[in-house]
Amino acid sequence: MRAPGDGHGIMAGDVLLAVDGVSLSFGGVKAITDVSFDIRKGEIRAIIGPNGAGKTSMLNVINGFYHPQKGRITFKGEMRRRMRPYEAASQGIARTFQNVALFKGMSTIDNIMAGRTLKMHENFFWQCLRHGPAMREEVEHRRFVEEIIDFLEIQAIRKTPVGKLPYGLQKRVELGRALAMEPELLLLDEPMAGMNLEEKEDMSRFIVDVNNQYGTTIALIEHDIGVVMDLSDRVVVLEYGRKIADGSPAEVSSDQAVIDAYLGVPH
Amino acid sequence: MFYREAGQFKTSYAADMAVFPIRQDRIGLAVILMIAFVGIPLFGNQFFLSSVMIPFLVFSLAAIGLNILTGYTGLISLGTAAFMGVGAYACYKLTTFFPDVNLIVWILASGFVSALVGVLFGLPSLRIKGFYLAVATLAAQFFLQWSFVRVPWLYNYNTSGAIEVPEHDLFGIPITGPNALPETRYLVLLTIVTVLTWFASNLIHGRIGRAWMAVRDMDIAAELMGIKLLDTKLLAFAVSSFYAGVAGACMVFLWYGSAEPEVFTINQSFLILFMVIIGGLGSLLGSFLGAALIYMLPIALRVLPASLGVPIAAATVEHLQFIIVGALIIFFLIVEPHGLARLWQTGKQKLRMWPFPY
Amino acid sequence: MDILYKIFVDPFVQMGAAPDLLVQTMWEGLVAGVLYALIALGFVLIFKASGVFNFAQGIMVVFAGLTLVGLHEMGVPAFLAVILTLGVMFLIAVAVERVVLRPLVNQPDIILFMATFGITYLLIGIGELIFGGNPKRMIAKELYLPSGSVEFQTLGGFVQLQKIDIAASVIAAIMIAVLAFFFQKTRIGRALRAVADSHKAALSVGISLNQIWVIVWFTAGIVALVTGIMWGARSDVSFALQIIALKALPVLILGGFTSVPGAIVGGLIIGIGEKLGEFYWGPLVGGGIESWLAYFIALGFLLFRPQGLFGEKIIERI
Repeated sequence: MRAPGDGHGIMAGDVLLAVDGVSLSFGGVKAITDVSFDIRKGEIRAIIGPNGAGKTSMLNVINGFYHPQKGRITFKGEMRRRMRPYEAASQGIARTFQNVALFKGMSTIDNIMAGRTLKMHENFFWQCLRHGPAMREEVEHRRFVEEIIDFLEIQAIRKTPVGKLPYGLQKRVELGRALAMEPELLLLDEPMAGMNLEEKEDMSRFIVDVNNQYGTTIALIEHDIGVVMDLSDRVVVLEYGRKIADGSPAEVSSDQAVIDAYLGVPH
Repeated sequence: MFYREAGQFKTSYAADMAVFPIRQDRIGLAVILMIAFVGIPLFGNQFFLSSVMIPFLVFSLAAIGLNILTGYTGLISLGTAAFMGVGAYACYKLTTFFPDVNLIVWILASGFVSALVGVLFGLPSLRIKGFYLAVATLAAQFFLQWSFVRVPWLYNYNTSGAIEVPEHDLFGIPITGPNALPETRYLVLLTIVTVLTWFASNLIHGRIGRAWMAVRDMDIAAELMGIKLLDTKLLAFAVSSFYAGVAGACMVFLWYGSAEPEVFTINQSFLILFMVIIGGLGSLLGSFLGAALIYMLPIALRVLPASLGVPIAAATVEHLQFIIVGALIIFFLIVEPHGLARLWQTGKQKLRMWPFPY
Repeated sequence: MDILYKIFVDPFVQMGAAPDLLVQTMWEGLVAGVLYALIALGFVLIFKASGVFNFAQGIMVVFAGLTLVGLHEMGVPAFLAVILTLGVMFLIAVAVERVVLRPLVNQPDIILFMATFGITYLLIGIGELIFGGNPKRMIAKELYLPSGSVEFQTLGGFVQLQKIDIAASVIAAIMIAVLAFFFQKTRIGRALRAVADSHKAALSVGISLNQIWVIVWFTAGIVALVTGIMWGARSDVSFALQIIALKALPVLILGGFTSVPGAIVGGLIIGIGEKLGEFYWGPLVGGGIESWLAYFIALGFLLFRPQGLFGEKIIERI
């Protein structure tokens, strides 16, 4: 697997994505209020917070699925106006979902191959014939997908329809599909929800490997505080749509506001 | 025991990605094609060719078209017959303007006209989904059907309001009109259907097919992966309408020989939808199986009792057909929502294991 | 320029010149709209309670009408025939629940939608087999429905109203009021609304889904019978009605699939819109545009408000 491009000369440690004063509401319900933080190139950034804190909404804003009423988002130094999700994808933002959003009728291979869509360009004519350039392209991308399959250790299920897979494996296939996009920024929405300890360990290993080997920047939502503390470089904490803390795992875990948010304030 | 991939090793990704990776399947396909291209024209009688095989192929083609839209991309259409009509009328007009050009060219060209109209009526899929979209396709059905009646230009101002197909030659052999032999019409149609089925299969197994299925299974995730929803849906509408249009042109030129607007009613659309459901949504094989079942059922109903000496009135046959089709739909949805094609798959799987249970 | 004049100015000039004709046209649209609304209503009931997009509602209307007339032809007195027809509709509801809904529970919506196609074809086949395919005359007189018409002299001309149309509107209004009462005030109505909100939650508080389904399908059957009588009294009872019944779909799009007031308002808009369109704009393109105008009105509307008139804005979540 190749390392993703370095993206307009952004070096490790520079700001890759900046969220600045973002507010989002549905009708009268405020999901996010004036949140600012940044994600630096090459880091694992965790977003944590109690249920309903606006974490998933934040990811939805980042990849263009929701449009915030206020605030700015800067990705790779460019400020974004309203953009469609596929534009975010073509700029290099990939995503996994809280409730697995795989293509249930397709096999593991086809799911991951679908992640290569943006990289495949052979035209309709060759697609009709499935020979010549179209077939060459297909084989070339299949090779790439097989590397991902090896990396995630899911060789045995490559031809199984994903609807039939157990939950843990589905999560893994979903990670594979996101990796197939060779993203610069990978958004993971609770990648370990509902997993047992062993599966969590596997998934943690994959996340760290992706980050180390390919330098992919990762933004991660997770409820398991242990995992967050071990994996992430920096943590941002949301509560009721507001940012209440931001810093290294050690700083955050000793922050009084965070402790109150998780354990409740004595009345 | 005999139907197995054991011992057939793949040494390249290309071999592993073949549409029929198992050797026995490829042999089976070759045998079927041999029978279709050689056996049937040699041994089939006039009735079998023009009243069974030709209609079956026409409906199979239309069903493939609808399956691309509904089965693979997940967009319900209730207007297939109208797009068949577009193909038929387009082909009629094109052959009127340029009678000397090879008919096959015009049959395919009329597919493109139909594709264009399909894209036009697919545009609302930008904003609306699911059942709502089904209503958009009803708009196409009723509007197009109306224009077949109310726009006299389409049928060259014939007083009958119908379109008549004149004689056309292919390399000096008549393929349409009263002098065309059923064998030639059948072979022309079979060639078209074979080539277009091969194209469809290629599309489905490649990037475009995966994008269609991704939109069908989880459109939001598909969009977040860089698949443009509108483009993908419109392409499905275009390809689907192309197939329907070619099927319609073939229906009028190679089967009926003439047509009235009544051929392209909503009931025809429903029938094709049933073929797709009963055959199997998202299966090309299913399109053929469904077309065979739904089209041959009434023929069997007519022929069987007569041969057994039980006379049934024509009207009763029609009513029975409704009841049986209705019951079959419900039966299949309950027993096997994935249709005949899935039954076939299950059967193959059993055969692979046989004689062992696992 | 001439064509623009004909499209954008001339029809309105005509409306102003002969307001009595305009009122007459709108009245006819209103009556058609009431009948569309009734079909849509049966549909909404089922969609709310079981999430099934019931394609068969139109054919249920025809089937109910045919059964009623058929029974009367066999010598059953008119009102007894009504009761027997209700019995038949109840049997259909039970059969649908047993044979179709119960085995298909938890299947995707599209599968259930397709299943109602199956029901449609079954009902067409059975109906034609038993009662024949020929159009029949509705037994309006035997049911003491009024006939003839009344005329009003207004707006410098005459407006003629068929008495049966007036009766249809009144009966439709009464039925909607009764249904509204039933849903708001009774125990079963409350259970129905609970099921509409969430199947699982309703199950967990001890509501029997199977029972509820039979009830809604039977209610939809009653609505279908009333619609069938009214529609049959205006024209004939025949399977041609099935195509007209498809117009309930654009009505539903306008009104939203789950809103009873939406079905009514949508029905009226579609009914009046297509009659006005046909009368004032139809001649420009050779007439007959009634067959598709309703779908285009709904489509145009949908592009601006995808959730329908009364539907709530959909927020997609992932």
